Amino acid sequence: MVELHDVSKIYPMPAGDVHALNHIDFSIQKGEFVAIMGPSGSGKSTLMNMIGCLDVPTSGDIKINGKSTLEMTDDEMTLHRRETIGFIFQKYNLISLLTAYENVEYPLILKHGHKDTTTRTADLLRMVGLTDGQMQHTPYELSGGQQQRVSIARALANDPTFLLCDEPTGNLDSKMSIQIMEILTELHSQGRTVVMVTHDPKTAEYAERIVIIRDGEIVDE
Amino acid sequence: MSEENTSLWQKIYSPMVLSLAVRNLKLNKFRTVLSMIGIVIGVFAICGMGMISAGFTEEMNSMISDTADTLTITPIGEKVIDGTITTGFSTKDLRDIESAVKSVTKEYDFIPMYSSSKYIYIGKETTMATISGMDSSDITKLATLIQGTLPRGATNVIVGETFADDNKLRIGSRMIMLDSSGQEVTCRVVGIMEDTGLMTFGFSTTNAVVGSIEWYTALVGDNHGLYDTVIVKAYDPTELNAIDAAIEKKMNGKKDKDSDDTVFILNSYEIMAVFDDIMSMSSIFTTIISGISLLVAAVAIVNVMLMSVKERTREVGILRSIGTYRSQILLMFLYEAGLIGLIGAIIGTLLALIAAPLMLMAMIGSMDAMFSVSVLSYVPIGILIGLIVCLISGLYPAWKAANLNPVEAMATD
Repeated sequence: MVELHDVSKIYPMPAGDVHALNHIDFSIQKGEFVAIMGPSGSGKSTLMNMIGCLDVPTSGDIKINGKSTLEMTDDEMTLHRRETIGFIFQKYNLISLLTAYENVEYPLILKHGHKDTTTRTADLLRMVGLTDGQMQHTPYELSGGQQQRVSIARALANDPTFLLCDEPTGNLDSKMSIQIMEILTELHSQGRTVVMVTHDPKTAEYAERIVIIRDGEIVDE
Repeated sequence: MSEENTSLWQKIYSPMVLSLAVRNLKLNKFRTVLSMIGIVIGVFAICGMGMISAGFTEEMNSMISDTADTLTITPIGEKVIDGTITTGFSTKDLRDIESAVKSVTKEYDFIPMYSSSKYIYIGKETTMATISGMDSSDITKLATLIQGTLPRGATNVIVGETFADDNKLRIGSRMIMLDSSGQEVTCRVVGIMEDTGLMTFGFSTTNAVVGSIEWYTALVGDNHGLYDTVIVKAYDPTELNAIDAAIEKKMNGKKDKDSDDTVFILNSYEIMAVFDDIMSMSSIFTTIISGISLLVAAVAIVNVMLMSVKERTREVGILRSIGTYRSQILLMFLYEAGLIGLIGAIIGTLLALIAAPLMLMAMIGSMDAMFSVSVLSYVPIGILIGLIVCLISGLYPAWKAANLNPVEAMATD
């Protein structure tokens, strides 16, 4: 469970402070599928970064399973991201130096300290629809849809309880978007908590709960 | 292995992090090679100069260290004997010098000798040699006989190996010298001494003709029984300075401020120490000069690593977001710098290993010293220096990368 208490995020800028989040109070229960919607610059990605321990609030507190992120060291937050969160980004964010297989294997190596000796990496890639040949391709040799599938496989590598998706279909055509959303729905049905940032109402329809954010504040739920 | 230890080990080492470092170096081959060349040159300069300097010192030491246990004492005070002004050590002087030696150690050789230079006629050739007269029993304390026997009587002599070779002398050969009245005196070679080389203290066999005191005084005269030189060899060379001081005090101790010294003491141990100091200073100087090239290389590495961090900012953000520790990001860039340093340093050291013996051969005509510990120690030293310089150079860029904000880093194009 994730709880946000009076969370604000201010980015100091030369032209004046930018209030990305303003006193947000918000919680996500285990097993929920939540869509965070809002226009560009509304603060939805900032909110997701806070939930994913990628960033810290300027004020307020975030509690993950009852533990405040204010009390967590950088290493603890890193460990939390590795063990319990799977990120799926709009731009896929795959490591260009690594093949599709290695991109998915990387979190497993981080966790276990050695290469994947099981078939988990290949299984995950097959599950999201990649062929054995495509697994050895680098991201530049794959289409956008294939890269997002690799990104989903990577997010699942360490069997996270949380999936944080930032515009997961933002760079995909409608057909591919549907396929990706079906995969996410399936992952949610397996018991994972899914938090998805999107500005697309069609995509948001897959979620059980929709949170609308505007100018750094939750305006509707 | 406990869970805690495993976690620490995973923070320090990750095969994928190392693999990423290697791949990045391969991806930017040209840049990697250019920065490596700087390290190769720097390590080659330091290692090569160090090896040459150490090899030269080693060679010089091996040439003179065999006689570095020697005090050579020569008289400088004048004496008036039977109305003649002369110089030399009387029997009393010898007793005084030896008593000074005994006051420091009981383990020594004390060798008084007559010595001068003389023309020698061998067949139709004329040459000059250092002739010495001493007790036969003392000869073996200064030289090693490689052929023949020790000289006895008034006509037998032994000669140095080089002198024998240069003048085609062998056992039984004859040489002619003129005595003090101009009469020809024929000497017979009965032995040949091993060559000590010219870089020796006290007594060099290289151009020497040695005979008994009887032979010498018959040829040159006995100079009123005054010896020309005394050589003191201490069994423990570290006692040489104390013996030097004792003789100095005994023989040159001022009775009044105007009195002159009576002996001059050449202390080989002291000279060796000065020589070592000079060579050490020279070595430090050359190392500093060579170090400048390594400094330039280090600056280039910092530049290359900063470029690498800038180019890979987004990658760092992604790695951090999926659970890579700061320490692992730090290591990834240190691996890169370390690999450049290690490979560059190995190549630089190998080049130095090729160049240094050639330089030594050109300078001193021998590369024997290359196989000494002091020279070969530059192999690990060179590799370590290259590695450490690169790691230090990579530290700031790596620290900068490790402390990037993951969100901001991922937003970078």
